[in-house]
Amino acid sequence: MIFLNYFISGISLGSIYAIIALGYTMVYGIAKMLNFAHGDVIMVGGYVCFYAVSRYGLNPFLGVAVAMLLCTILGIIVERLAYKPLRQAPSLAVLITAIGMSYFLQNTALLLWSSNPKVFPSIIGRGAFKLFDGALSVSHVTVLTIATCLVIMVVLSLFIGKTRLGKAMRACSEDKGAAQLMGINVNATISMTFAIGSGLAAIAGALLCSAYPTLMPTTGALPGIKAFTAAVFGGIGSVPGAFLGGLMLGVIEIFAKAYISSQLSDAVVFAVLIVVLLVKPAGLLGRMTQEKV
Amino acid sequence: MSEPVLKVENINVYYGSIHAIKGISFEVYEGEIVTLIGANGAGKSTTLNTISGLLHPSTGSVSFLGESLAKVPPHKIVERGLAQVPEGRRVFAQMTVQENLEMGAYTQNSGLNEDLEKVYTLFPRLKERMHQIAGTLSGGEQQMLAMGRALMSRPKLLMLDEPSMGLAPILVEQIFDIIADLHRTGATILLVEQNAQMALSIASRGYVMETGKIVTTGTGEELLASEAVRKAYLGG
Repeated sequence: MIFLNYFISGISLGSIYAIIALGYTMVYGIAKMLNFAHGDVIMVGGYVCFYAVSRYGLNPFLGVAVAMLLCTILGIIVERLAYKPLRQAPSLAVLITAIGMSYFLQNTALLLWSSNPKVFPSIIGRGAFKLFDGALSVSHVTVLTIATCLVIMVVLSLFIGKTRLGKAMRACSEDKGAAQLMGINVNATISMTFAIGSGLAAIAGALLCSAYPTLMPTTGALPGIKAFTAAVFGGIGSVPGAFLGGLMLGVIEIFAKAYISSQLSDAVVFAVLIVVLLVKPAGLLGRMTQEKV
Repeated sequence: MSEPVLKVENINVYYGSIHAIKGISFEVYEGEIVTLIGANGAGKSTTLNTISGLLHPSTGSVSFLGESLAKVPPHKIVERGLAQVPEGRRVFAQMTVQENLEMGAYTQNSGLNEDLEKVYTLFPRLKERMHQIAGTLSGGEQQMLAMGRALMSRPKLLMLDEPSMGLAPILVEQIFDIIADLHRTGATILLVEQNAQMALSIASRGYVMETGKIVTTGTGEELLASEAVRKAYLGG
């Protein structure tokens, strides 16, 4: 039963990683860049949600909606100001800009909201479902997190697979030049990807802070890195890969904490990543793209 | 003659410091097949990509249906009716045949099913493989898909970049038959080719390019008969 408890916590944590990893993987798939500021958008989402709920007394779900809206706008602005001018630049320049943007967001948050940790009110309280005569206790947040992740997975898969815009995103990710020749506005499609990724980051922020209630300007950094790892683990650029990678990472991390050592859990996570990449360099569901001659 | 569909006037294009296109001018009139021939590196693809708006001329102008394309982004150029089948086909390899065709119709708001039907009639092979992933098609089929995809945007001018590249001779003939068919049904075509013999045999007019310049021009027959062209491109 304890095992099952750990497993559910792992899936829940993994769901949050998966939602964040989607932002990394979609942006990478289309813009071929690693947006290291993505983790900090989670933190901004957390703060917006926090203030909307505790200062302005908004319904928590409405708070999440406001956070999504603002993060979406933030994502589009970041892309427009920092990354779009570098579309033709070497990828190293873009990478460094993304790291700079990450620090910029963290320090702006420090300035605006100070370094004092805020205690985030859970968006659906701290209750729990008791199963098997109380032997298994699953918090409402856990259930909500897993359910949200599933819904996002289904909706996003349908969006990418079936809609005109989703298909245009796939076309851009394969060949931007050819996509332009189809009449697809590549810049608008890239903005759209940042918007979706950032909106999802806001959801992840609210869920993360509901599960782990301490909110600080650096809150997004470590989950951001972990989710990036998850995206690479699953195969960066692959949407199902981000889900699988996120869930697996969460489960491995919780099991490592429970059965090996809570100090070493991150080391275990990254060790597993290294092994996976040695065996499958493109990640679990990633495709090796061959350079055509 | 009336206003040309496409008018390229004295364009110069640079890749960094390399002067790739050195002041070329040509026109395409409605209902014509015009071919640009020349060796590898003559600047043919650069010319097409400049017309499509992927590259920008430093001087000179491109106008389509009487309007300048200078400030028009590539996706809007497609919307105006100028489609390009790029060199090397560049189909979306991980999408199905049908999805590739849908992408071709991205600028169209209606009539998707009729357009699909038209393309499938023109290329029955594509219909058989409509749910197949494009990357698994043979080279000839991919060329058909790339052409079908461009036709989905209902172009007023279709530009083809090296449609014969990498195809077996029998397939090259098949592709050129289709181009000739399209022309008979009224399509206006700008054809870029290294295979000068094939291109000139179906072209109304041709321009010969050499290192970024147009060196000769004439009707298809004239160029086929021309001693200079024969020497340079048709193997004596």
